[in-house]
Amino acid sequence: MSGRLITLILVSFLLVIGALMLAGVMPLDALSVLGETFRQKGAWTRTLRETTPLLIAGVAVFLGLRAGLFNIGVEGQFLLGALTAAFVGLLVSGPLGVILAVIAGSVAGALWAWPAGWIKAYRGGHEVITTIMLNNVAAFFTTWLVAGPLKAPNQESTTTAALPAMTRLPSLYSSPPFFLNVALLLAVLMVVALAIWLKRTVAGYELSATGANAIAAEVAGVNVKRMTVRAMAASGAIGGLAGACQVLAYEWRFYEGFSPGYGFDALGVALLAGATPWGLLPASVLFGLLTTSSTALAANGVPRGLNGVLLGLLIIGFAAYRYRRKRT
Amino acid sequence: MGHCCALRAAGRKGVRRLTPHVRLRGIDKRFGSVVALEAVSLEVEKGTIHAIVGENGAGKTTLMKVLYGSHPPDDGTIEVGGEAVAFRDSADAIRHRIGMVSQHYSIIPELTCLQNLILGAEPAAFLDEQAIEARAQMLAAKMGFSFAWSEPAANLSPAGAQKLEILKLLWREADVMILDEPTAMLSPADAEALFESLTALADQGRTILLVTHRLPEVLRFCKRADVLRGGKNVATTEVAETSAGQLAEWIVGHAMSEPVVGSFEPGEAVLETRGLTVRGDRGDEAVRGVDVLIRSGEVVGLAGVDGNGQRELYDALVGVGEVLAGDVFMEGADIGRLNPGERIARGLRLIPEDRHTQGVIEDWSLEANAALGLHRLGDLRRGQWVHAPARRRLAERIAERFRTKHGGLHQPMRSLSGGNQQRFVAARSLEFAPRLMLAFQPTRGLDIDGTQAVYEAIRNRCREGAAALVASFDLDELLEHCDRIVVIRGGRIYEPPAPQARDRNAIGRLMVGAEAGLSA
Repeated sequence: MSGRLITLILVSFLLVIGALMLAGVMPLDALSVLGETFRQKGAWTRTLRETTPLLIAGVAVFLGLRAGLFNIGVEGQFLLGALTAAFVGLLVSGPLGVILAVIAGSVAGALWAWPAGWIKAYRGGHEVITTIMLNNVAAFFTTWLVAGPLKAPNQESTTTAALPAMTRLPSLYSSPPFFLNVALLLAVLMVVALAIWLKRTVAGYELSATGANAIAAEVAGVNVKRMTVRAMAASGAIGGLAGACQVLAYEWRFYEGFSPGYGFDALGVALLAGATPWGLLPASVLFGLLTTSSTALAANGVPRGLNGVLLGLLIIGFAAYRYRRKRT
Repeated sequence: MGHCCALRAAGRKGVRRLTPHVRLRGIDKRFGSVVALEAVSLEVEKGTIHAIVGENGAGKTTLMKVLYGSHPPDDGTIEVGGEAVAFRDSADAIRHRIGMVSQHYSIIPELTCLQNLILGAEPAAFLDEQAIEARAQMLAAKMGFSFAWSEPAANLSPAGAQKLEILKLLWREADVMILDEPTAMLSPADAEALFESLTALADQGRTILLVTHRLPEVLRFCKRADVLRGGKNVATTEVAETSAGQLAEWIVGHAMSEPVVGSFEPGEAVLETRGLTVRGDRGDEAVRGVDVLIRSGEVVGLAGVDGNGQRELYDALVGVGEVLAGDVFMEGADIGRLNPGERIARGLRLIPEDRHTQGVIEDWSLEANAALGLHRLGDLRRGQWVHAPARRRLAERIAERFRTKHGGLHQPMRSLSGGNQQRFVAARSLEFAPRLMLAFQPTRGLDIDGTQAVYEAIRNRCREGAAALVASFDLDELLEHCDRIVVIRGGRIYEPPAPQARDRNAIGRLMVGAEAGLSA
């Protein structure tokens, strides 16, 4: 069985090597560029920085999946959470401001996801459709806010003002150019909390039952409709939290085009994670590594899209592998 | 062609008893390390209905699949019409005019009746619909069947689907027809009609192999019977020379104890409905003004043909159905507005009809499934936390009760066979002092011993003061195990008058709506 998995990964890599060569790059050259890159501490800082939003947003998607909800709206919840956190952080400064910004960002994400949960539970509208639509609304709504009412008065570009230094999430460890932000620790703790919550609490049991077999769950006394609304809101809250952390830990402001698609990549992280939350950790690091690599390679003329190709192949391969295992 | 002539020749010489239509000798079949069949021999006379009886897992279906070519035997020989054959697959068997109707019908609901009939045996690449329909009509008329050929098969009743399956065999010109539990989904009247057709087919010279666990069918309609137990042929008998008791003893390997029925004093009302009306899938009233009263200590059987409102009635009692009117009381309290969780907390337990969708989560472990529905009761939780040791003990107790065969409580539920899942689900419903047990086909997929054990356990809970409502499509099972039987038909409840309370025929007439003849 694991032989099959290894074959799968090998085939993916062969395909990527082929694609590299088609792009006019020798795979060995690409490797040496990567080796050079990862000898620098800065590359690891960038990798962990990319990993943080992917991991938190991955938790959001994973929670939804366990409840049987495919929350494609994490991207929008991420944007709303980030903008709200920036707004609150600029109003209230200091550690209190950080805490309030985190809470406000989560609440914004939850409120943004809530309609999708409610429509699913009480009107039968599919969450994939509603969350995709809410993503578009979120993108335009936040762009409008940051271009208008929330735009920093003395700035050319469409951005909010920067948060003061005391209203940021601090580094846990720093030896320039290497930084490890508290946000990553928070992300890991969320994975631990989710794993325990799902396995050890009555609510986690009922949520998993709803996702695994909603009819059996209902007969077993679970209020499936209420659970659906709550799970979607909780997933959205975590998505909003991911955005808030991104602002407070790394970006310190909100601007137009804030997310390069973390919410969508998080779908891949959660799918790659498999059956347990623990899988989110390696999956998000893998995504982070690939993002850093593709940035380094892009400077040497390799199209960035190749990153997406490799991820796509991996996700398809894992999905096929897991589906096979399930059937047999 | 050759074997046909051989048959006819054998018939003319009058040596039919010496050259049986089908003869299996020394059949062995293993699946991995499991021995499914061991040295099974079988002789079937031409033009008869021959019964294969035995418990679930005795090897009946496997033996039939060996004959039908879908499970080639590891050892042994098969002769059809005196000629040795070795089938590579079912298509091979069909060419030798052997056909089989599985327990689970192979009708595709989206196709029309005619398309279903010819599926896999189309006469040509380009279909001449008129010619096909004409021949189909002729075959149907011969059997006294009638079909709306261009209607989707989804509209067929269970009996209609069964008839279409039989017609499929005739379309393929099968001489040997294997029927696996053909009456499992049929009403008594439809079963009767089916056997009329089968008898007619046998009289025309077709040979019918009937796999069944319903002994009355064997005694009434079959000529000979073979009994399988544990993969071996333990008895072969002329049906005229045996009895139901003898057959049952062969089947289980020991003498059966008589169930205790009706020897109790009913107590307080546990379940009472008044004018209960429930919406069905199609927006109609699937249950209409139902009044039932079930008292403490009682096991009440709900007889009826599939699709007469049983499902909707159960859904409403559990709290997931859409009640249009009426009230439901449990031990005097109005529970009509309570959700399923609150009803479970009051002692309502369900053995659901559809185990896969309602009863278990197949991806989950046995241990996680043990708590499903009970997870907020007793010591299974501590505040908002799951109490894992209690859950493990519960799972052990549940698996123990009806001897669920499993490979460890951490194994996923899907690793269990259907019968073992059913044991598990039935045992779960007995936990945490149930007050009202709603069982829907509680012994589906169980053998005779398992059936006995499940009903005994339900009865024990009722002796302790609970009450049970048991729905089944098998009237004989209800008659054997229930104190009282009510009939549901067209969403209404009918109770046989006192002198006929246990009269099989009277209840059967109520099930199909022929009670008019009773009063006349």
